[in-house]
Amino acid sequence: MLIRIRRGGASVSVSEGFEVEIIGFQGNDMVTFQSLRNSETRGSLKNGIHKMDLVKKTSLGIAFLAISSCWQLSQGAETEEYRKGEMLFALDVKPILSNKCFSCHGDDPEEIEGGLDMTTREGLLEGGESFDDVLIPGDAEFSFMMEAIRWEDPDYEMPPKETDRLSEEQIWSIRDWIKEGAPWPDDDRVAAIRDEYAEGVIVQTSGALSEDWANRRYKEEDLWAYQPIANPAVPETKSKADHPIDAFIDYKLELKDIPAAPLADRRTLIRRATFDLIGLPPAPEEVEDFVKDRRSDLVAFKDVIDRLLDDPRYGEQWGRHWLDVVRYADSSGFSNDYERTHAWRYRDYVIRSFNEDKPFDQFAIEQIAGDEWDPDNPEMIFATGFLRMGPWEHTSMSVAKITRQQFLDDVTDSVGQTFLSHPLQCARCHDHKFDPIPTKDYYRIQAVFDSTQFADRTVPFQPYENLVDYTEKAVMEKRIQYFDEMRKELSEKSRKATEEWCRENGVPVGTRRELAKQGIPDDKLPPRNHGLTLEELGIKKVGDKNVARTTFELMKFEPYAMSVYSGPKPEKEVRSGSMLSMPKDPSSGGSMSSMHILIGGDPFNRGEEVTPGVMSALPGSNDTIEATPWNSIPDSPDGRRLAFAKWLASPENTLVPRSITNRIWNYHFGRGIVNTPNNFGAMGGKPTHPELLDYLATWFLENDWSIKELHRFIMTSEAYRRSTEHPNRTLLTEKDPLGDSYAAFRHRRLSAEEVRDSMLRVSGSLSDSIGGLPARPEINMDVALQPRQVMGSYAASYEPAPTAELRNRRSIYAKKIRGLRNPFMEMFNQPSPDESCEVRQSSTVTPQVFSLFNSEDSLNRSVATAIDLLENNKNRKKAVEELFHRAYGRKPDREETKLSLDHWKRMEDRHEDLVFEPREFPREVERSAVEEMSGAPFTFTEVLFGFDDYSPDPTFADVDAETRALADLCLVVFNSNEFIYVY
Amino acid sequence: MKKRLQREIQQNISVAKSLNRRDFLYGMGSSLGSIALAGMLPQNLSAASSAGPLSVKKSHLPQKAKNCIFLMMEGGPSHIDTFDPKPALNDLHLQKFTRSGEAKSAMESGTRYYVQSPWKARQVGKSGAWMTEPWQHLANVADDICFYLGCQVDSVNHPTALFQVNTGNRFGGDPAMGSWVTYGLGSENQDLPGFIVLPELSYPQGGAPNWGNGYLPAHYQGTPLRPKGSPILDLKPPKGITAEHQRENLNLLSRFNHDHLEEHPWQDDLQARIENYELAFRMQMQVPGILDIDQEDDRTKEMYGIGDDDTDPFGRKMLLARRLIEKGVRFVQAYNAGWDSHDFIERAHGSRIKSIDKPIAGLIQDLKQRGLLDETLIIWCGEFGRSPDNGVRDGGAAYGRDHNAKAMTMWFAGGGVNAGHTVGATDEIGSEAVQTVHHIRDVHVTLLSLLGLDDNKLTYFHGGRFKQMSQFGGQIIPELIG
Repeated sequence: MLIRIRRGGASVSVSEGFEVEIIGFQGNDMVTFQSLRNSETRGSLKNGIHKMDLVKKTSLGIAFLAISSCWQLSQGAETEEYRKGEMLFALDVKPILSNKCFSCHGDDPEEIEGGLDMTTREGLLEGGESFDDVLIPGDAEFSFMMEAIRWEDPDYEMPPKETDRLSEEQIWSIRDWIKEGAPWPDDDRVAAIRDEYAEGVIVQTSGALSEDWANRRYKEEDLWAYQPIANPAVPETKSKADHPIDAFIDYKLELKDIPAAPLADRRTLIRRATFDLIGLPPAPEEVEDFVKDRRSDLVAFKDVIDRLLDDPRYGEQWGRHWLDVVRYADSSGFSNDYERTHAWRYRDYVIRSFNEDKPFDQFAIEQIAGDEWDPDNPEMIFATGFLRMGPWEHTSMSVAKITRQQFLDDVTDSVGQTFLSHPLQCARCHDHKFDPIPTKDYYRIQAVFDSTQFADRTVPFQPYENLVDYTEKAVMEKRIQYFDEMRKELSEKSRKATEEWCRENGVPVGTRRELAKQGIPDDKLPPRNHGLTLEELGIKKVGDKNVARTTFELMKFEPYAMSVYSGPKPEKEVRSGSMLSMPKDPSSGGSMSSMHILIGGDPFNRGEEVTPGVMSALPGSNDTIEATPWNSIPDSPDGRRLAFAKWLASPENTLVPRSITNRIWNYHFGRGIVNTPNNFGAMGGKPTHPELLDYLATWFLENDWSIKELHRFIMTSEAYRRSTEHPNRTLLTEKDPLGDSYAAFRHRRLSAEEVRDSMLRVSGSLSDSIGGLPARPEINMDVALQPRQVMGSYAASYEPAPTAELRNRRSIYAKKIRGLRNPFMEMFNQPSPDESCEVRQSSTVTPQVFSLFNSEDSLNRSVATAIDLLENNKNRKKAVEELFHRAYGRKPDREETKLSLDHWKRMEDRHEDLVFEPREFPREVERSAVEEMSGAPFTFTEVLFGFDDYSPDPTFADVDAETRALADLCLVVFNSNEFIYVY
Repeated sequence: MKKRLQREIQQNISVAKSLNRRDFLYGMGSSLGSIALAGMLPQNLSAASSAGPLSVKKSHLPQKAKNCIFLMMEGGPSHIDTFDPKPALNDLHLQKFTRSGEAKSAMESGTRYYVQSPWKARQVGKSGAWMTEPWQHLANVADDICFYLGCQVDSVNHPTALFQVNTGNRFGGDPAMGSWVTYGLGSENQDLPGFIVLPELSYPQGGAPNWGNGYLPAHYQGTPLRPKGSPILDLKPPKGITAEHQRENLNLLSRFNHDHLEEHPWQDDLQARIENYELAFRMQMQVPGILDIDQEDDRTKEMYGIGDDDTDPFGRKMLLARRLIEKGVRFVQAYNAGWDSHDFIERAHGSRIKSIDKPIAGLIQDLKQRGLLDETLIIWCGEFGRSPDNGVRDGGAAYGRDHNAKAMTMWFAGGGVNAGHTVGATDEIGSEAVQTVHHIRDVHVTLLSLLGLDDNKLTYFHGGRFKQMSQFGGQIIPELIG
């Protein structure tokens, strides 16, 4: 039985079945613990792994613990055949040395740090450049390596990385080995000892880069996700829990003697469930209906759940979670940050899939291999947009082989994190340091995608797709015309000057390009853009680039789908900034070239050849031991992804059902059963309730991978319906310091999107429309007009859509530009789309106050709310009541009503004397720019055609003092904690 | 009755505070690098309620500099035409050759010709550092500078190289150096962001992720002070709303929030959010004063070249950088754009050098006279160097240079640097670093160490592993340290 403690409390775990728990910290390297059975039995431990023995039972049958003061050889001490030192070497010391030391001290004979070769006993005895007393057999205290591994000498802290530092247990092993004379048995003897005595499991994979890695032993607890999914029996509890989830949760609570919080009241519960499932506050009548429902709590609540799951808003909320994981954005990032003109069709596909309750296995297969599975089904083509979600660009400035590799690395890791909860990037340059994923597997999986080529396929718009907002098209056309005229005059000027130059220099008259075609040598050609000043050249380039860029982006109105096909590398280099057509014959590029391990991840440094494969460490997945139809991937360009997807989305895959079940749980409770939903490996969290996770995964499979059924199952548990307020918080904090017992529910701050959408909903102006081209809400004007450099020019300003109806759509539809984030969203922790987000942060940072309290957007929402409240209520009191009802799901008490009415009156008095000017929207911006190549400053004017027919949201200038004063009250409510938090 | 309730609330709040501390440990511990967390502990334990994520933390190593001003020359300044002159190019001028290969971009391929520098260079200061003619003012402080000519990066593409210099990672999405530093050290002034960026009006290619917090908590994000419009977004309420008007709203908000807190005494983030509104109100009042450089005397402004068209914009940035450092901001990064001189290098680099020469020299002199130079680390660099050759352009009428990842000049001044020395060298034509050659990751590790941070200990658990600025570890370049 082991208890493991790491510095700083970063990780504390107690082996399953061990009857102590951690109750607190002293300083940064001590923990205190107590017996689960008897709170009087306490103790404290320092960093490291400690072995604990059950030494006696008291008369009361209470377990009493003692800690062995120093590390004992866990595998048993000396045997007849092997000496203790040899045992230590084979089982503990050799693996430590080879993992932590050899890479700098011996693996590469050309480059041995400090001249110290640690790969042999002789090398250690000889020492390095600075010390010859590195190892003194029999004398640990005077062996310098002890000082180094203990980090006692600041100049020789070994291994030098904090994250590689040896644990106390490991240091003890080396110490004891030295004391025993530092024997160094040969490889055969080491192998024999290991065979007989080593703890842990060897995992057979497709092949390792090194022998040591192949024979590495894993602690069973670190391989939990590789075990077949169990179907554990539901435990019996004193609470007589009849919901299986509660039985698992209560069992642990009872074991730790933690009382559960009472169930939340109906008002709290419906607000919780509504935000949870649709990301919006419940309407006042929905709250009152539920509160007044005479049926039992559970029966009435089930109806609420059903109603919410049927609401189309559901897919928007849960689709958003998925888009966080896959890094959805409407632009491609990097130099040009080109718009991803059709990413929205993937976004809408995701939303539809959630609304339709598409079985998750199907959902997974479609995204990885929809085009191979059913190429004639539009949904399948949209789905494969997933494969292209990462930031990516290729231009004349980049090297094609590198950008292609960037895609392959990105998609490999993304599939790993998204579906398998394994960041596969960790195995790109070396066999995985902690998990049984050899580099070979990394490149086998990458080979699955080696035949994946980008294509913007033509897929007709479907009747169910939203094609409403075409207002941007006219704006873009005007922009093209404007910039075209801007450059035309200058082109003309240059043409004339060039002709003049040709005549003067005795060259046939023509443009530079024409003359080059005629075979005139370089040094006889007229200069480029001849006759233009550098300022004019700058302006012409702005014109050229804007015309090209906007013309490309006009393609968004054509029925393309951002997709892929399977085939060899296309003949034509794939460049960003144009539609990539699907070749008539996908195999026309010739044959596939072989796929190799890339040494150090370098695309120019090929190693061993690999063929497409799967993660070989999973049960039944190692085709090198036994190839089955399930674990084998065809070598043909076509069908690789489909075979891989079917391996992945299978009940036999031990990762995928657990991964998605854990994600769903994570979004409901604010933490996963495994609190690292993207990582189930040894470096990820361990399941707090492993049996529950397996039970849920099994249940999920039995219910045909239905996510909606899983919601119902989870939300009807008492664990989900508990109050956030625990009656005995002191006890709870003491017994459940990590907050993972589920004795009380966790409150949470609204996500960025929920904050904005809820303000819109409360103001009555949230648009109902679903899907379609990215919506263009107003964003902070300074940011909208912020000049943004793109390759060779400046991107056009961000222009919001012309009508409130088009702007005030749900935030999931808002255009998401990687290089131009909406500052409001960013402020409230909307994650950057460059990295997969498994769980949202909710930090409290000061600029949030500016965004929510000072911004034009908040003011507009407040004014709209005030107008709506005044229109719909007979008197002020009713208006205040309605405001509270909409925002908080309850009516104000008498004191709040009075405070609010007084405030309203007081602010109205202030407003009487105030005059507000109507908002002015810029019709053009003067841009000061620097010509990128020559550094010449120039200015040009960008006309903002988007504001030609612009009808803004009402603001202070449009309403009277009474409304403005009520808007002040609404602003206060929108900023209040009760609005921003859900309980 | 009321008294009892109040007492209970008081108790609850004090428990909530102790919970705060524990929640902080537990809640963040699982994702915080261990040493950085350990460094937070003393302050955190002694003043739980006020210790935020930006509170000052103990450094891993002795600090040679406390603060950092990072001058980012966006576009890639030419080492050859600034601090690493190559007279050998004079003989090769306009000689042609061709280049091709799988590892070359379209930009680098095809027919090329060598290009000489438009300027002569001379040695300046006691140290004899090389500078081209356009550097006039910087020559006066040359002995305060450590030039490093041996740096290399991985990419010849602007955003990828810029991401790499700023964050260590070519593909963006990782925390910027300023984020790492504020994460590791906190900041002296809790009322201002710890990491402030002074961007050009137009953001660089790749945009705001160049100063993003990446996977670190949002508190460590770089806050751009915008050169036009509101310096911090929405710093001020809409026009017409006075501070008193706002105060009235804030008072009601505070009342609502405190009533609400009574019902949820255990949720410590509620308290933090209440405090935030007060902090924001103070900030709203203070920031305009800090930014108002007209408070400085004329002599100081003259030192920075303020008032002269060529030097005014960057001069203001440099003066503002000094004011921010004085106010206890940990890390300031200032951008200067327009260094991408593929053509017309004489004109382009000439104007760029002019725009920064006096302001930077002014900054160094000003910091020195205020006794701040020793505790401030100044970094100057671009995202890569430039090539000794160019693609065929305009029949040789407008010489310029393409990108070069294999040779980049950087320089450092202030706390702990090996001032008065030039470290490393490139080959005869400046095509590649050949002496004391280091990847940018080693420079990052070295600079962090000057600020008292050990890259191997400054880690954050994310994406399955402990991540660090150098990506997978690097080495200190001892030659750069004084």
